[in-house]
Amino acid sequence: MIESGASPGSSTLVKVWDAPVRVFHWLLVALVTFMFVSGKLSWMTWHMRCGYAVLSLVAFRVLWGFAGSTTARFASFVAGPAAALRFARQLLSKSAAPSLGHNPLGGWMVLLLLAALLMQAGTGLFSNDDVLSEGPLAALVRKETSDRISTVHYWNSNLLLLLLALHVAAVGYHWLVKKENLIGAMFTGVKRLPAHAAAGGTATRFASSWRALALLGVAALAVYLIVNRPF
Amino acid sequence: MRTKTWAAALTVALGAGAAQQALAQVKPEVLVKQRQSVMVLQAKYLGPIGAMLKGNIPYNADVVSRNATYLETLAQMPWDGFQPSTQSEKTKAKPEIYKDTAKFQAAYEKLEEETAKLGKVARAKDEAGVRATFGGVAKACTGCHDQFREK
Repeated sequence: MIESGASPGSSTLVKVWDAPVRVFHWLLVALVTFMFVSGKLSWMTWHMRCGYAVLSLVAFRVLWGFAGSTTARFASFVAGPAAALRFARQLLSKSAAPSLGHNPLGGWMVLLLLAALLMQAGTGLFSNDDVLSEGPLAALVRKETSDRISTVHYWNSNLLLLLLALHVAAVGYHWLVKKENLIGAMFTGVKRLPAHAAAGGTATRFASSWRALALLGVAALAVYLIVNRPF
Repeated sequence: MRTKTWAAALTVALGAGAAQQALAQVKPEVLVKQRQSVMVLQAKYLGPIGAMLKGNIPYNADVVSRNATYLETLAQMPWDGFQPSTQSEKTKAKPEIYKDTAKFQAAYEKLEEETAKLGKVARAKDEAGVRATFGGVAKACTGCHDQFREK
């Protein structure tokens, strides 16, 4: 089988994404889509409930970035700026080899998306809509402060939309130009990689899904405590 | 009889015109303060009904009736404060208010209609009716905010 680009050679199927990462990703896609719709239509009760779910998922993903499988760890995919730049140049000249996990630019997009989502969920907790709804922590701050945070919540949602558009465009570029199906890999967890890129796959250590569930439980509990403040 | 009707109509028209003119002379910062004050009170009287319907506080038909009646009156108050002179003030009111006046009018008349419906069932102590009409009031608020208020 001939791989895309100039390098012919054998290719192999390699497992790169663990189940927690994949479930996290697609749950987040569904929830974030709903967040934009419910926000636009002022379905505040469900907007807020699903917001807590988004916050829990993002908190889980941060924990998984330290304690998850190799390809999920920040240490494995956050590249230095020089490496990211080099990769960007290769990418545009189409010579960049497929990465086992996140490529150097994709790694930065993951960080940006997580940060923007954290910002979005965090500001949502303090926001109000000047009619009936306010986030569970809005009562802790002055009205003007909550108003200002609500404005940030709005503008950050546009920033998030922009990042998501970039993310989808990049995946589209990989698919159409570089013939790499990253979307399929995010469903199956498996990538077809040329031998030299696949070689690192043997070093991937997969963490147990039970650990993921435990960490998700910790994240959800933390969010529950922040939202309900029982103490 | 006929003369009387005309006289009455003329008086009303003159009165309205005079009120309009008087309003235009009110300092823009005062107009802004006035219309914002109305909205602060709208939030004050809307909030408890919302909390009752969500079950956060016990339902009290007397409070609902009083608040809904206030809201019905308040719903008519802010709009003549949106004079073009206030565009120089720092507010969240979008310029569209003064460009697309018909659309703005439709948006605030929606609130007047919805609060009238709510007021009627609230005074009749009809809890089911309050539940059925309250959403329309909240929607009229956000609908207008979405179109005419800066984020």
